[in-house]
Order: sequence, then structure tokens, then C-alpha cells
Amino acid sequence: MTQERFISQVREQQEPLRRFLLALCNGDAALADDIAQDALVRAYVASGSFLGLSKFSTWLFRIAYNCYIDNCRKAKPEKAPVEEAYNLPGTDTSDKSFRYQQLYQALEKLPEKEKAAIALFYFEDRSIKEISAILDMPAGTVKYQLSMGRNHLKQHIQL
Amino acid sequence: MKEIEDFLRENKPQVKKDPTFILETRRRLEQVEGIKSEVDRQRHHGRVALIVALCAGLAIGIAAAAIAFFYPVDAQSATEGIVQSIRLFLQNYRQYLLMPIALLAILLGVVLSKKPVQI
Repeated sequence: MTQERFISQVREQQEPLRRFLLALCNGDAALADDIAQDALVRAYVASGSFLGLSKFSTWLFRIAYNCYIDNCRKAKPEKAPVEEAYNLPGTDTSDKSFRYQQLYQALEKLPEKEKAAIALFYFEDRSIKEISAILDMPAGTVKYQLSMGRNHLKQHIQL
Repeated sequence: MKEIEDFLRENKPQVKKDPTFILETRRRLEQVEGIKSEVDRQRHHGRVALIVALCAGLAIGIAAAAIAFFYPVDAQSATEGIVQSIRLFLQNYRQYLLMPIALLAILLGVVLSKKPVQI
């Protein structure tokens, strides 16, 4: 894959990818973007091995998720700066900011797999099959993670 | 559970529009390309060096075989001469040879005992 072709594919996927990582990093935009950049470099290096058996975005998200896991293993992530949620773009009302803060605080308490499943299903509108491919787990496990994630979120989010 | 689902769908995390993101990606990919080309260059040099070494070895081997073929020598007498001179040297100087060997052994023992264990 040429660099230009790769960049054009990334251009389409950058926003969903960054959003996915932002959810995983509990709102830490700087860390999310850093992991996204690492994932893109890793994907570019491995682009020769992309056979097109899955969608490019699925492949890219899987690499990004692995990068995120590697990052978690390397160093325990610092406490997510949930306060950043107040400065989110387009969140003029304090009510909206409060909801983002609540969301990130709740996501922070979820195990990584549940958080990833929730982020992919609800924020990225991915199908169970795609999530299964990205997180490398059977579809049944994905459904279980989603169910557990919802239950955990319910305990932490006041509606 | 429906409320949670609605909450999640309505409050998707929002990323800031960042035009520098792609620029940064491009910069990193350029660096990767630089590393790739450097690795390729070194690999090419290594391959050339290997081929040169093979050719040199082959040429020297052929030359040695040709010399041995065209200028044969009495190998047995030549070898005997060398072995004889080594034997004589060892016989005459064995008392001087044992001392440096013993010193080397002691030195090696000291060095090894002081070397920190690396795990």
C-alpha cells in the first residue's frame, strides 16, 4: 500500500479511531491521539500484510486496540483527566459537560474489554461481528461483555 | 437498560477537529520510510559484501588448488620439518613456556572471580 493511499484511508477513519481511543482513555485526548499515531505507524509498517479479508477500518481498529493494551501494560495509565470533559468541543451547556464527565468517570471504572465493547457498539455503531474481529473474541463473549458493561455503567451513571 | 443505551448513543465522545493530526501522521510515516530505506540500503550492502566474500573465497580456493596442482611439493617432508622444529622449540624452552601459561591461568581465575554475575 502506498503512503498516499494509506493516508487517504486514514483520513476517512481518523475521527472514529480517535473517538474510540478517546473513550478507552477516559477522555484523555492527548493520550488517545498519541496511541492513535502509534497505531497508524504500526498499521503502515504492517500494511503489506493487510490482505483485505476484513474491512480496512476493522483491521485498523484492531491494531489501535492492541496498541492501547500495550500502552496499559507498559505503564499504568495516569488518572484520566475527566475534567477535560468540560472543555469538549460543542459542549456549551454545563449539562452536556456534566454528562460527559459522568460518562468518562463511569467508563474509567469498566474493565478494558467491556469498555472497548461498549465504545465500539454504542459510539462507533459497529456490529457484533466486527467487534468480535476487532477485540479477537467470540461473538457470544462480545454480547456478554456488552451486557456486563451496561450493568456496570448503570451503577455509575445517574439518569 | 434502554436509558443507558440512549445515554450512550446521545453522548458519544467528541474529538476536537485537529488538522495537525494528519500532518503528524504524515511526518511519522516519512520517518518510517527513512528507516525502511536505511534498512534496505544496509541489507543491500550486506548482500553485496557476502557475494564479494564468496567470490573472493572461490577465487582464492581455485588459486590454491591450481598452485597445489601445478607446483606439487613433498607434503610429508615439509610437514615433518615443521613438526620437528616445533618439537625442538618446546623441548628447549618448556621451562619458560610453563610460567606464562600458569600466570595466564591465575589471571583468568582472578578476572572471573571479580566479574559480576549478569542475569
